[in-house]
Amino acid sequence: MMKQYLRLGLILAAFAVAACVGLAFVYAATSDQIAANQDKQLNESLKGLFPDAEGFKDVTADMTALAGESKLETAYVATRSGAVLGLAIKAHGPSYGGPATVLVGMGTDRRIVGVRILAISDTPGLGLNASNPGYYVKKAEKVTFTGQFASKLITDGFVVKQDVDAITASTITSKAITAIVKASVDSGESWIERNALGGN
Amino acid sequence: MKRLWTLFKQGIIYENPLLMLMIGLCSALAVTTNVSNGIGMGLAMTFVLLCSEIIISLFRKVIPSSIRIPIFIIVIAAFTTIIDYVMQAFFPELSKSMGVFIPLIVVNCIIMGRVEAFAYKKGIVDCVADSLGMGLGYTWVLVAIAAVRELLGNGTFAGLQVMPDSFQPILFFTLSPGGFLVFALFISFNIWLKGRMNKTQARRDVAKEDAA
Repeated sequence: MMKQYLRLGLILAAFAVAACVGLAFVYAATSDQIAANQDKQLNESLKGLFPDAEGFKDVTADMTALAGESKLETAYVATRSGAVLGLAIKAHGPSYGGPATVLVGMGTDRRIVGVRILAISDTPGLGLNASNPGYYVKKAEKVTFTGQFASKLITDGFVVKQDVDAITASTITSKAITAIVKASVDSGESWIERNALGGN
Repeated sequence: MKRLWTLFKQGIIYENPLLMLMIGLCSALAVTTNVSNGIGMGLAMTFVLLCSEIIISLFRKVIPSSIRIPIFIIVIAAFTTIIDYVMQAFFPELSKSMGVFIPLIVVNCIIMGRVEAFAYKKGIVDCVADSLGMGLGYTWVLVAIAAVRELLGNGTFAGLQVMPDSFQPILFFTLSPGGFLVFALFISFNIWLKGRMNKTQARRDVAKEDAA
């Protein structure tokens, strides 16, 4: 009996080891490419938010923690010939289908420059429309869900279905993304205040 | 050769995993809101099915039947993770739009079902024919359902606007009730098609007997 258990255990272990070794090789072969894709996406998003910026400096260490369940990942200051253009904050928080990662750009005038969704797991055709450039919450003006945050003052309201248009049939996702955006800009504002850049 | 062709054909209409065996419906309903997702999911799933069937068939003599299920899961999960990594590395856009459904291939009943009912008992060549047929059967149904739902629910085909601007998208078809409706229509169509094909076959057999 004991021998039988041992035999079955060893066979199962052999399959598990073989599968892990195979996965390790695939991981090694693809991880650089995946990291490069993510870097490229982040750089493109940063450039898209601040096209005039000459450089981005990591200021994650100076940031205050985000309110609620959102977690700060990294923050960058966009600069042009020494002057600060604004702040880009990468944060994630819980959403409908798992955590969503959002990049929020805000200017020193306390206006949101733009919002980009870097990673989101959601239902195609519903919540995933948050990152769909062809899905408009305001059809006539062709404003996307993230597009509606552009040039919004951070002191404006952030209540979904009142101040923020929700994605049809995806209220949870809409609220989740809005919460991450709000938490990010609040933390960003305190950074701007502490660095005495506000109001110029 | 004829036997392999028959095996291959089984999965497309007669034993179509979605329309006849009715397994793996959950993710099928979820991803069929747009055509590119349907194609992506179909191909990813065919890859995992093909590789898993080959490996299981190859090792079927050394897999004790008492622990076959955990071993199937290890093999299927390994290939699913591989395709997940590969898509993230080389098709980041597609991988992003597929959401959580690539990792969920692990628990797709079609793979589990085919591995248990077919690959564990049959040789490797048969398994290749079976998995390609099943995979193609799965893919065509996904693409066809997605085409209907995307066209009516969003006015687009594979992301391209095809309906005139005056067309008001019927959101019902993007949501799950619309998915069930379109899916049910496809099931009835497939049953009708199968009935017709059986009749034609019967007529051909009679004709053959008459000739003899």
